[in-house]
Amino acid sequence: MRLSSSTIYDANVAALNQQQSKMLHTQQQITSGRRILTPADDPIAAARALEVAQADATNSQYASNRNTALHSTAMAEGVLQSVTSLLQDVKTLAVYAGNSVLTASDKRSLATELSGRLDELLALSNSTDGVGNYLFSGFQGRVQPFVNGASGVQYMADDGQRMIQVSSSRQLAASDSGADIFMRIKNGNGIFSLQAAAANTGSGRLSQGVVTNPALLSGSNYQVSFSVVAGVTTYSVTNTTTATLMSSGNAYVSGQPINFDGMQFDIQGAPANGDMFTAAPSSNESLFKTLSNLISALNQPNALGGATAAAQFNNSVGQALNNLDRGLDNVLTVRASLGTRLRELESLQSTGEDLGLQYKQTLSQLQDVDFNKAISDLTQQQLGLQAAQKSFLKVSELSLFNYI
Amino acid sequence: MGIGIFGSSLSALNAAQTGLLTTEHNIANANTPGFNRQQIVQDTRLPLATGAGFIGQGVEVGTVKRLYNEFLSTQVLHEQSLASQLDTYYTQIKQIDNMLADPNAGLSPALRDFFGAVHNVASTPESPAARQAMLSAGQFMVARFQSMSQRITDMADGINSQISNSVTTINSYARQIATLNQNITLAQAAFSQQPPNDLLDQRDLLVANLNKEIKASVIKQSDGSFNVFIGNGQALVVGAQSFTLQAVQALDDPAKMEVAYTSTAGITRLQQGSFQGGNLGGLLEFRSQSLSATQNALGLVAMGLAGAFNAQHLLGQDLNGTLGGNFFAVASPQVNSNTANTGTATVSAAVADYTALTRSDYLLKYDGAAYTLTRLSDNTATVLGALPQTIDGLTISTSAGVLAGDSYTIRPTANGARDIALAINDPAKIAVAMAIRSNASLNNIGTGRIEAGSVNAPAPVNVNLQQTVNIVFNTPPTTFNVTGTGTGNPTNVPYTPGSTITYNGWSTKITGTPGAGDSFVMSSNTGATADNRNALLLAGLQTQNNMLSGTSSFQGVYSQLVSQVGNKTHELEVTSSAQAAMVSQTVQVQQSLSGVNLDEEAANLIRYQRAYQAAGKAMQIANSMFDTILDIGR
Repeated sequence: MRLSSSTIYDANVAALNQQQSKMLHTQQQITSGRRILTPADDPIAAARALEVAQADATNSQYASNRNTALHSTAMAEGVLQSVTSLLQDVKTLAVYAGNSVLTASDKRSLATELSGRLDELLALSNSTDGVGNYLFSGFQGRVQPFVNGASGVQYMADDGQRMIQVSSSRQLAASDSGADIFMRIKNGNGIFSLQAAAANTGSGRLSQGVVTNPALLSGSNYQVSFSVVAGVTTYSVTNTTTATLMSSGNAYVSGQPINFDGMQFDIQGAPANGDMFTAAPSSNESLFKTLSNLISALNQPNALGGATAAAQFNNSVGQALNNLDRGLDNVLTVRASLGTRLRELESLQSTGEDLGLQYKQTLSQLQDVDFNKAISDLTQQQLGLQAAQKSFLKVSELSLFNYI
Repeated sequence: MGIGIFGSSLSALNAAQTGLLTTEHNIANANTPGFNRQQIVQDTRLPLATGAGFIGQGVEVGTVKRLYNEFLSTQVLHEQSLASQLDTYYTQIKQIDNMLADPNAGLSPALRDFFGAVHNVASTPESPAARQAMLSAGQFMVARFQSMSQRITDMADGINSQISNSVTTINSYARQIATLNQNITLAQAAFSQQPPNDLLDQRDLLVANLNKEIKASVIKQSDGSFNVFIGNGQALVVGAQSFTLQAVQALDDPAKMEVAYTSTAGITRLQQGSFQGGNLGGLLEFRSQSLSATQNALGLVAMGLAGAFNAQHLLGQDLNGTLGGNFFAVASPQVNSNTANTGTATVSAAVADYTALTRSDYLLKYDGAAYTLTRLSDNTATVLGALPQTIDGLTISTSAGVLAGDSYTIRPTANGARDIALAINDPAKIAVAMAIRSNASLNNIGTGRIEAGSVNAPAPVNVNLQQTVNIVFNTPPTTFNVTGTGTGNPTNVPYTPGSTITYNGWSTKITGTPGAGDSFVMSSNTGATADNRNALLLAGLQTQNNMLSGTSSFQGVYSQLVSQVGNKTHELEVTSSAQAAMVSQTVQVQQSLSGVNLDEEAANLIRYQRAYQAAGKAMQIANSMFDTILDIGR
């Protein structure tokens, strides 16, 4: 084919340009470390890289959220550990207080010690996170949750529980409301609670009581009244909620179980005529209340003296021990859930790290340059360019005009 | 006899000289754009008829012709026109491609940082530093939107001025072609139909240059002049007369320049799509296909994000205990009345549902009886009897005074990226908490638990939202009574564990077995510095599919844009380089006929030089012949 001279030049210049721009592209890839310089280089990978980068960023964000959750959970766990050992100490003291050989002054000194423990418990329950936010105040971080007032310790905050997003599909609690830890503790045996009337003059001592048939539980209040006629002690049971007399004239034997409506308990000792015992569905009694009840029982200058006073004291201490057990159970339950959360956080942490590694790998595959390939490409392009330059020189030297 | 030799030698000398001249002309113009090499056409002179037969009388140069093939040249024009269109489109879209390219400077990192900051607020709601960081990240993201939008506006402005330039260039070419038409006709008439080769080359070059600006078709007339047509057959040059194009403001968008045709009847607006090929075609296609789409897509991300975020933010409660306001300021849809409208109605559009918005623009037309709304992305037309109507998340309404033939262009998300802004700048005003909280009474004897509760979407919230509402269980606890302003104090509401209880714009659930007399309270969430419930919901928006009718996340829409622009750029990169190769091949073929080969010209130089020398020799011989005759007479 006939060639025009300018075609030879144009074609060569175009070829050189093309080779140079290819080389520049490879060179930019190498210096930036990125395979995709602009989305046009690989549109699908570029868009995918954006999605993966977001997933990676959220994953890192969840990791930082987990650290926050870990921190606050560990802090709460630390406080509750102290609460646990405090309650165990208090329990030991309470058991010791039940010892019948203690004198009134022994009891008063025990009461003093317990008062110190109550203050300690109050301080623990009002723990802060170091920057002034209360750990157990629900949503109201700046409101002191437990305040000791005229009517005992009151809970001033709310039931809020703060959740933290710890993975794409999981929100984990990062706080517990003080009400659930310190206030919502069912007294008695957790189903019903027994109480001796304050005016009792006999020496009847209550047991804790058990539920024999849950189906029969009615949720009503009951009253067991004793009458002693001619040395024979009998008792009657009244449902005070419905005001119905359920039974009367039952013979009383100390320590024999008393049964009605699915509940069973016993009374030991000698109740006096007119003594009354009540059974009611368990209600919430705060740990503070339990402790202060115990303290006031220890401080009680008992006017009645003798077996009656001993029985009253015994009933109070027994009740306190019951409630302390339930409180300890409650705190341990909360701690167990904290432990579960910590475990879950740890396992999520390692899953998250694996996931992050995967994202980074995918991202790298999508957008990072393969240096071996790029450098080999560059060398090849360099060779091509050099060849083009040299051959261009050779071709352009050829001209008939050289010979005429 | 001798005279015959002289005459014939002279003719040969002349012919060789002309040949040398033409060769020299070719060599001189070897690099002149548009030059077609020329050749002399030699003929034998009329022979002398004698009894001995016809005796040759030498040579004459019939004409100087240029080596030109109309078919090949037209093919070059077409390929070149398409190549410049693709090249222009590629150059333009490359700018958007570059804008979206940097993974660290694009929109994605700003989106990620912002939601990261929201997460940090959710984790540590009581920290003022986290709140301030969220505002700063929000400000940064908003600034990214704005600067990208500014970049697109700059590009649109650039296109307007390029269109004006292109139109000026086209007009100039048209005038020059018309002038050349005239000169060529005159020259041909004056010199007995000899072709004025260099003028023809010039005109062909002008037509080629014109085709780089816009695709033009040429019809050759019998007098040698060209008639040039563009678009759908609009005459640009007819003989010695040229017509002009003009860049005018578009009727449907005052910010847009478009090309109109000026004739004796005045300005005629043309379908912009009819301008194909060339630089101008590339500019117009880029603007309608890619630039507006990019602007709309960015705007959609901005509006969708701001809309969804605001909707959730309005349900929350800030640090001061007041209900949340808007977090972002959101753009409103742009409505352009066609400048040619005769009616006086003002059409307005408002966003009814951010999740249903699309990236498309809409055309609203009134035919005297009904409105027709056309979604321009897929040309779906919907007939609307009367306004207001809600379609694709937009509520379109109008004032009175519309007349038949009026039309309006609605661009829902065009200003989305430009107009997004932070609506609050006080960290305390971030609505991190919920406006309500629930509490179970400590005196409860049952095992009933109440959930934290949530505020019902959408905003605005119920006026009685924060009123204290008591839920007290009856004896037996299978029903409950509700007391509180706004609830209507219903009594004996049946209790089903775990079923939703809704009053005053909030919802909650009670589970377990409440006892008789147990009470639960829903109340205002005062002092809730540690409540992060609304922030959690705000942070969750990042990964929710809140866009394009619930099929895509914010990041998803943006990725889609990146992929679309990337694909189009890649496609143009490939097609424009393929087209460039096509052009170079056709040019090569055309040049193989018309281009100057210097070696060939060198050979021609020698050829004509030899011819000249031979003719000279012949003349010398004739001279010596004369001498011989003259010697006889001595």
